[in-house]
Amino acid sequence: MLGNNAIMKVVTGVVGNDIHVVANRLIDLSLRARGFEVFNLGVNTYLEEFFDAVVETGAEVLLISSLNGEAEGWAREVKTLKAKYKHLDNLILMIGGNLVVGTGKAEDIVPRFKNYGFDLVCHQVDLNTGLDMLEDFIEERNSQ
Amino acid sequence: MSLLQEERDIIVSNEYVDSFDFAEVKEFVKNASKDLFISHHFKNADKMLVQPRGGFPTYKKQFALNEFFVNANVDVLPLTIDSNTRLNDYSTASRMLRLSEENDVDMLNGYPLVNHGYRTTRKMITHFNKPVSLRHGTPDARLLIETAIASGIFDIEGGPITYLLPYSKNFPLDKAFLYWKYVERVCANYSELNEPINRESFGPLTATLVPPAITIVIQLLEMLLSLEEGVKSFSVSFSQTGSMNQDIVTGAVIKKLAKFYAEEIGCGDAAIHLVYHQWMGAFPMDKDFAEQLINMSTVIASMVGADKIITKTREEASGIPTKEANAKTVANTQYTLRILNGLPTIVDEEEEDILTLEVKAIMEAVFNDPADTLWRKVFNSIKNGIIDVPFSPHIINHNEMITIRDANKNIRIIERGNVPIPDRCFEYEKSKCDLTKDTTSIVNDIIHDIGIMM
Repeated sequence: MLGNNAIMKVVTGVVGNDIHVVANRLIDLSLRARGFEVFNLGVNTYLEEFFDAVVETGAEVLLISSLNGEAEGWAREVKTLKAKYKHLDNLILMIGGNLVVGTGKAEDIVPRFKNYGFDLVCHQVDLNTGLDMLEDFIEERNSQ
Repeated sequence: MSLLQEERDIIVSNEYVDSFDFAEVKEFVKNASKDLFISHHFKNADKMLVQPRGGFPTYKKQFALNEFFVNANVDVLPLTIDSNTRLNDYSTASRMLRLSEENDVDMLNGYPLVNHGYRTTRKMITHFNKPVSLRHGTPDARLLIETAIASGIFDIEGGPITYLLPYSKNFPLDKAFLYWKYVERVCANYSELNEPINRESFGPLTATLVPPAITIVIQLLEMLLSLEEGVKSFSVSFSQTGSMNQDIVTGAVIKKLAKFYAEEIGCGDAAIHLVYHQWMGAFPMDKDFAEQLINMSTVIASMVGADKIITKTREEASGIPTKEANAKTVANTQYTLRILNGLPTIVDEEEEDILTLEVKAIMEAVFNDPADTLWRKVFNSIKNGIIDVPFSPHIINHNEMITIRDANKNIRIIERGNVPIPDRCFEYEKSKCDLTKDTTSIVNDIIHDIGIMM
């Protein structure tokens, strides 16, 4: 858990023209259960909206999800877009869901998405495992 | 000229519409065969009507699909509309239709009715001489419904709530109410010429753990919005919940309350029907299992006493079904209905009482909204969370209600948000569930509860 740290803020949502809402609601519920303050932008959200929300809320984590397999097209733009915003160097960028169209191996997909600028990449990973990864990452960073 | 007629003239003056002749359409509806009206079949049928789902881009393929259905002894033909038309993007629909015609590949997930036009489509509808049900998902369906009725399609699905909250993130809900008001009035006016045009609401909503109280309230409200404009034949609907008892209770309460509220607004003369959707959630990949599920849905629909059943196919999990698979379900469902005899009557008074109290409490809160018209009251009630649909993607929806399944797989409300579920009912719902678990386990239960048929 987060220990004695102040409540962390997370912006989340489903990227692009993707209307799959079920997992989005469950991510929202689970993050709250783990003590995060959640700003859920819902389905069908564009990258600019995510970064604008991070700036507006002062969130420490941006958790993007995707189910329809189109995430990669959007993920490619993340670095360029993030560079246009100030003060986002410490933002934890996480992406999860079903990240490619058709079948793909996690060992190929994860490094590719890390290269796009994500700190944490969960391809077809169970929700709670993914959120455990996020908490471990935060703890590790805080202990440094 | 009335304001409505002025609006109609504007709506049909569209570059994708080939001159709309209102006088000719009026004559057509007036003299149309009674067999095309589902309202006529509801009045005279002594069995549950069977209707599949289906729509292909080209006239040729749609015609072939209908032939398969008719050979499988279908009662009601479907016409499912493509997604571009649903968003009023007739230009893309037109391009994709041409590509589909030239390359023999389906570039649309349904029939682009506006682009085909009513003169062409009417030939197909009158050829088969079966009632046709329009399936879409369109917030602004004004042109689509004008075209449908002119084509001979006299069963119109949809509504401002049920076609918005499950399908859209930010289409303005107040606009949808006004666009659907137009649809209701057009349907009501045509209903005076021959048998009534039937309107049908889309009860499955998100098909994801929606509790019966929410489903029924939305069915009743769309029914009232339709009847108050003069519609005389209306179908309320819901989809299989996952518990046979909950389905039977839902069917009993929705039938009782639809009649009650129709009479409350002085529309007791309207005919109200019940439509049951076979399981609308995630389907098993195994096609034989899918057939078992479909068959069980048919049995439950009979227990519920539905007037019409809308079918799925064994290929549900893998995409848009072939016409062969689609027709097979129709034949199988007809067979099951024919051999299902001597069904027992099951009544669960306690569950019916609880559900009735919940629905009435929510309806009362909606009616008590200070707005001056029903649609504004409903709009405000959705905005302030008196009506809250689990798993709706729309930004106006509150998303505060949480539901899970109990040991018998009934959908139960464990967080009510702003929905005015009476305390006694809320305590009853919660008493059926194990709430000692932490949220993480409850989220895991929800994931499991969504996928119970897999």
